Amino acid sequence: MAGELRRVLARVGFSVFVALAAAFFALPMLWLVFAPFDPVPTLAARPAAPTLANFRDVFENPLVLTSLRNSVLLALYTMALVVAASTLAAYALSRTRLPGRDLLLYVLLLFSSVVSGTAAMVPLFLLVFELGLINTYLGVTLVLTGGLLPAAIFILKDFTDTTPTSYEESARVFGASPFQILRDVVVPLVRPGMAVIAVWSIVNVWSNFLIPFILLRDPDLAPASVVTYSFYTEGGQADLRLLSAFSLLYSVPVVVMYLFVQRRYGFRFYGGIKR
Amino acid sequence: MAEVVLSSLVKEFPGGVRAIDRLDLHIADGEFFALLGPSGCGKTTLLRTIAGLEAPTGGSIEIGGRDVTRVQPGGRDVAMVFQDYALYPHMTVVDNIAYPLKVKRVPRAERHRTAAEAGSSLQLEATMDRRPGQLSGGQQQRVALARAIAYRPKVFLFDEPLSNLDARLRLEARTFLKRLQHELGTTTVYVTHDQSEALALADRMAVMEAGRIRQLGTPVEVFRRPANLFVAGFIGSTPMNLFEATVDGGLRVGRSRLPVPAGVEGQLATGQQVVVGVRPEYAALADHGRPGAIDGTVVLLESLGSAFLVSVEGDGVRAQVTVPEGRQPAVGDQAFVVPDPERLLVYGKDDGELVG
Repeated sequence: MAGELRRVLARVGFSVFVALAAAFFALPMLWLVFAPFDPVPTLAARPAAPTLANFRDVFENPLVLTSLRNSVLLALYTMALVVAASTLAAYALSRTRLPGRDLLLYVLLLFSSVVSGTAAMVPLFLLVFELGLINTYLGVTLVLTGGLLPAAIFILKDFTDTTPTSYEESARVFGASPFQILRDVVVPLVRPGMAVIAVWSIVNVWSNFLIPFILLRDPDLAPASVVTYSFYTEGGQADLRLLSAFSLLYSVPVVVMYLFVQRRYGFRFYGGIKR
Repeated sequence: MAEVVLSSLVKEFPGGVRAIDRLDLHIADGEFFALLGPSGCGKTTLLRTIAGLEAPTGGSIEIGGRDVTRVQPGGRDVAMVFQDYALYPHMTVVDNIAYPLKVKRVPRAERHRTAAEAGSSLQLEATMDRRPGQLSGGQQQRVALARAIAYRPKVFLFDEPLSNLDARLRLEARTFLKRLQHELGTTTVYVTHDQSEALALADRMAVMEAGRIRQLGTPVEVFRRPANLFVAGFIGSTPMNLFEATVDGGLRVGRSRLPVPAGVEGQLATGQQVVVGVRPEYAALADHGRPGAIDGTVVLLESLGSAFLVSVEGDGVRAQVTVPEGRQPAVGDQAFVVPDPERLLVYGKDDGELVG
């Protein structure tokens, strides 16, 4: 009897804990659903008589649309560079015997995740400045790509490692050139991994604030993550009407892309051949 | 069509492992040649070296009279069928078969026609638009064959192509493969660890051990007269009886005495230690004693289907003999194993080589 009671109590306690944890993560989402349509949004997530006035006001700011377009451009440039470079690098690292190869990968991964963009910002800024790439997308794209590449190579190398070499060898015996083998055999086999890397890079670039904030001086070039900052007053007070509406606009493309890729390609976080 | 000539071929891997050890081999034009050996004997490395996927560290390879030792795999005009078939999962069957021709820049219509021809010669018409993942193992194997055929190479290289099939299908595929090779007349090198496959398919075969060829010959020669104890132990679906014996006018095995086979008398000295080999298929079972028989008690019966493998043990000597079904003794019976004197083989005990 006592044991039964304890079991029930344990279940109740667990459910309460899960509910609280879920609420903790769900509340900001709810706020993002309600606040943009609230005539006078507060920090509380509460339904109100919906209005589109916030959106009308936010679109009066000329930076809003250009910033979203800028975000798309930056994300696409970086994604293309990361996917292309990491595929080639992962393939090469997977297929050649290089002394210290695994150590090299781990060190790169470690540095890219531990030494974050913030800590390296001063040398990065100087580097980009010396290269004359301040206020250019090329500069931002290169820095972002550098930060994403190690993890991307690491993930994709796992995909290429689990692809049997007989597929490439068979093509080689039939006379295929290295480029043909890459295009006709390797890329199709690791495509699910490339899709993962593509989405992951886009999401990373989309949400990155610091690097474009520091490397781009011209407001017309700023991506959405930086423009969000302009909905604060000088005193650091947020204009919740504009901020909430813009936040929703800023979030929707990523969610849509995620759903599209998931539906169209399907994510797979491991390699190997699905026969 | 082409012959394959290997001259003192050496392949040493980094770390000093010698997978191929100064190997000479001449494979004739149109021949079905099997490379047989246990795992790690170098047979697959040899095949990959012929294909060009491994670079030899010494010696030379000629295909069709042309030295291809330093030629890239694609320039050797060979087609290889891999153990896992290596069919591209993202291409349809017809695209898989046509892929080598695409690499050769054959126009699309023509390569699809060739692929369709190759496919229909292997009964693949119904599967041409499917993906390899939707095919059975036997169909996948035939797609891999069709891809090799459509390429029209000088030499086929097969790396255990039947080992992923189940037993029944493997027998069918074996017959099919042999007939196909006969029709095409293309020189074929076939790697296998399955001796029955090699015996059934090959015109000639090589038995390999540790990077060297231990015996080269037709399947009949290799089966009847294994050149050494390694081959004797490796070949045969039932293991060969190998008895330690002393030469004393006859061959003394335990308390029995076997006759010395014709042709080797002059080469044996009295008192010499030898190993006598006889296949269970080349011995008979008698129920009464006679000279040249090994006597003992039946300890084990194993059914081989149409025959029984009978194990007879006596005086520390264990002999096996096959008898037709229905003629098998009972366990515990006294029995006499009588080897066919014509089929007795004598090996030197120290070097393991066939005497005579």
